[in-house]
Amino acid sequence: MATFPEFISQNEERDGVRFSWNVWPSSRLEATRMVVPLAALLTPLRERPDLPPIQYEPVLCSRATCRAVLNPLCQVDYRAKLWACNFCYQRNQFPPTYTGISEVNQPAELLPQFSTIEYVVQRGPQMPLIFLYVVDTCMEDEDLQALKESLQMSLSLLPPTALVGLITFGRMVQVHELGCEGISKSYVFRGTKDLSAKQLQEMLGLTKPSAAQGARGQQAPQPPLSNRFLQPVQKIDMNLTDLLGELQRDPWPVTQGKRPLRSLGVAMSIAVGLLECTFPNTGARIMTFIGGPATQGPGMVVGDELKTPIRSWHDIEKDNAKYMKKSTKHYEALASRASANGHIMDIYACALDQTGLLEMKCCPNHTGGYMVMADSFNTSLFKQTFQRVFAKDEQGTFKMAFAATLEIKEIGTGGTCQWKMCGLDPSTTLALYLEVVNQHNAPIPQGGRGALQFVTQYQHSSGQRRIRVTTTARNWADAQTQIQSIAASFDQEAAAILMARLAVQRAESEEGPDVLRWLDRQLIRLCQKFGDYHKDDPNSFRFSETFSLYPQFMFHLRRSPFLQVFNNSPDESSYYRHQFVRHDLTQALIMVQPVLYAYSFNGPPEPVLLDSSSILPDRILLMDTFFQILIYHGEMVAQWRKAGYQEMTEYENFRHLLQAPVDDAQELLHTRFPMPRYIDTEHGGSQARFLLSKVNPSQTHNNMYNWGQESGAPILTDDVSLQVFMDHLKKLAVSSAA
Amino acid sequence: MDDLFVKPGNQERGWNDPPQFSYGLQVAGSTRSPLTKRGPPPPAAGLQAPPPCGDPSPDQQATSPHLHGITPPPHKMTTPTHRITPPPSGVTPPLSQATSSPCGSRLPPPPKGPDSKAPCGPRAEPDPQPEPDLQAVSSVLAEALEACRQNVSRQVCEDIAKRLRLLEDSWTSGRLSSTVKRRMNALTLEMKSSHWSAADDIHRSLMVDHVTEVSQWMVGIKRLIAETRNLSPELLAFSPADPVQPEPVGN
Repeated sequence: MATFPEFISQNEERDGVRFSWNVWPSSRLEATRMVVPLAALLTPLRERPDLPPIQYEPVLCSRATCRAVLNPLCQVDYRAKLWACNFCYQRNQFPPTYTGISEVNQPAELLPQFSTIEYVVQRGPQMPLIFLYVVDTCMEDEDLQALKESLQMSLSLLPPTALVGLITFGRMVQVHELGCEGISKSYVFRGTKDLSAKQLQEMLGLTKPSAAQGARGQQAPQPPLSNRFLQPVQKIDMNLTDLLGELQRDPWPVTQGKRPLRSLGVAMSIAVGLLECTFPNTGARIMTFIGGPATQGPGMVVGDELKTPIRSWHDIEKDNAKYMKKSTKHYEALASRASANGHIMDIYACALDQTGLLEMKCCPNHTGGYMVMADSFNTSLFKQTFQRVFAKDEQGTFKMAFAATLEIKEIGTGGTCQWKMCGLDPSTTLALYLEVVNQHNAPIPQGGRGALQFVTQYQHSSGQRRIRVTTTARNWADAQTQIQSIAASFDQEAAAILMARLAVQRAESEEGPDVLRWLDRQLIRLCQKFGDYHKDDPNSFRFSETFSLYPQFMFHLRRSPFLQVFNNSPDESSYYRHQFVRHDLTQALIMVQPVLYAYSFNGPPEPVLLDSSSILPDRILLMDTFFQILIYHGEMVAQWRKAGYQEMTEYENFRHLLQAPVDDAQELLHTRFPMPRYIDTEHGGSQARFLLSKVNPSQTHNNMYNWGQESGAPILTDDVSLQVFMDHLKKLAVSSAA
Repeated sequence: MDDLFVKPGNQERGWNDPPQFSYGLQVAGSTRSPLTKRGPPPPAAGLQAPPPCGDPSPDQQATSPHLHGITPPPHKMTTPTHRITPPPSGVTPPLSQATSSPCGSRLPPPPKGPDSKAPCGPRAEPDPQPEPDLQAVSSVLAEALEACRQNVSRQVCEDIAKRLRLLEDSWTSGRLSSTVKRRMNALTLEMKSSHWSAADDIHRSLMVDHVTEVSQWMVGIKRLIAETRNLSPELLAFSPADPVQPEPVGN
């Protein structure tokens, strides 16, 4: 009998699902009393290289309000060729192609190991992928040159049939016509005035697809396969390479003390409108490359006077952010239009100062697009991250997926819920918060198990339409009599991330301290419900193994940049939060509580506590916060390195020691998207602050001499340590006054 | 091994810019399991029941902090002294903070290794082979272009020809590095053998790794490969005799 950790891990491997509770409380009231809600982290397109796609259509339940997909939980009568839907209990006839099935000849979708299965469906024409580049030209020549080269390079990474388009902007917005032989033509728009899709259509001379077919009475109006602005790569790659090569910096002079006039808001609006007119309802990516903030027109986030800085958190708290509300509205409207059409909006912001990610975050967030934040286009961080957007899987197709919808079917109501995700990749992870609707004291539903089915329909990057179906079930239990079983099924890692996502969502609209208070309150309640203790005796408090790491996660979450905006700009906070809510559980946990590995002469590399006591003079630490990979050399190691011992032949083992974390860091850098920063630092180094601010400050300048700490570097901070945090937590949990 | 390298990031433009992997390395992927283990959970304040078994992280109790009443002998943090005690190597005097047994025994002098400050993969060693001949490369490309003229529009052929001229210019004026020249030679060899996917792959790796040098003309090569692979074989016949010695390709 597998243990719960094994069960959880197997299910995640196979189905890409992790639940906060793996035994479900059977009534609504009891579910709310669990403190941590019943919820799931789902990675719809988790990479399953071992799962061959099925080349036929899924079999659906015939009940119109159900339409669940045939799955391993269904009862089957092989003789009568009938199956019973496990969601609505409808009896369905198998289609004629299934006449040959029997107990010994089961179709894949009935086998338990195919609880996750992928179908390839052959409906409709295969639409090409569409990439629309929106390029800022208000940047230094060095940056613009690097960006141009990256875009030229990307043409070699796109499939030959993909459609590509180019919009450039500075003070004006230019929509480039591609494929005109010998001359380059573009339509120029003022950057101060927004345009509706209809106006844009007229001005660009685009005809609506259906109008062209209407007279002919064709059944399925074929959308034009290309137009003057979006053409196949194989046709215009040479022209576009030249066009990109000839792009110049925005010619409008920028006077001293001013910012360049950047019409980003209108540029993005035109991009959204162009695709809306020409390719509604098909997978497309609008990739916006930004060298600075929008300073003109709708969507501007700061004025053009340098002496007025862009809004900080302080400004926002004091309600002193002049442009924020209006520009946020502008971008939210764009995001709405794009997502209604299944179009993805990416933002690649490379600048030393803020660019307005706070206002624009709805664009990548609501459309499943990428948000990349770097210092310059001429950095490896941007170049490699951008390359990895076009990463391919083993079959040689892009990992990115388009135009997805997720449906969830569950027992009881027989209804379904549907969500649209325009952009997906194998690591995109959704958090789904479930509501138990059974009334208190009602009996446990027939069969004793609750089931969920996740149906994700999407456009694969090869052009095929695919459907991935995951069906999973868990036991119900009566919380009043079986609380121990429910407690034993707690997945503390999943729970921590699910709660963290709720906290991040609250942080978007509530005051920081209120969010922390809410989070603390939930933690205390969880301790009160599931801890073992004697009232008013903090020392008696015990948490079972399944809960023991949870308080630690909460401790680190409270200090994380997702909830602490101090020392981060609004753009940085938006960026970190964006990354946090899209990645899978393992990555999210790294973000909350970074991983720390130690390298020394004492033995092989080992994971160590994220604690100041882990910082020792004779070892090297490798810290992975997801956003940074940091190598820290202890004091003695740093001195040895400085003295050059690694160059001496008799100290080759020292050289190996120095190289070991570098090699491991390389492994992490190899696959991570987006590329993290890479920091090589040492004791006393200024960059060491990234390590010092993350470790639990169990030793500070306040308690350095209290007891003989054997090791570790004191951290200069007034932050509470984990030990103090736990002490307070236990006091509050056991208190009868709570 | 030209296509497998790591070079440092651009520290001037990007704060803590990560190193850059070549296209070949990125595509090759990684086989090691990711580092996601955590240190042992803190025995923080007796939170747990007796030591957990089945804990996912390796049980290295040596690293857990000492808390709660256990007072090891006070140990002052020593300030850096002038005299630095060398790292353990098996032949040095004992360390003042002796914690470890030297694990390195005396080894024969190692080959001069990469700089440990930046992560480095295998570097392109200075190549003893002579640089490839431009004539060999451009003759293959010219032949391919000629074969295309029948089926492909004049404009496209002119565009490709223009870029081939740019390639030749860059080559002769010394603007191309020897790595690029070698890879181009390899590319044309693949074309001669009708290994279109391999040639395409080389073009892609050159675009990713050396974009500054090749961006002006590489798209012409790309188009040429795309067009010639669609031609029927009899239209495309490369001249058999080939003065350049074949170079090991795709290592």
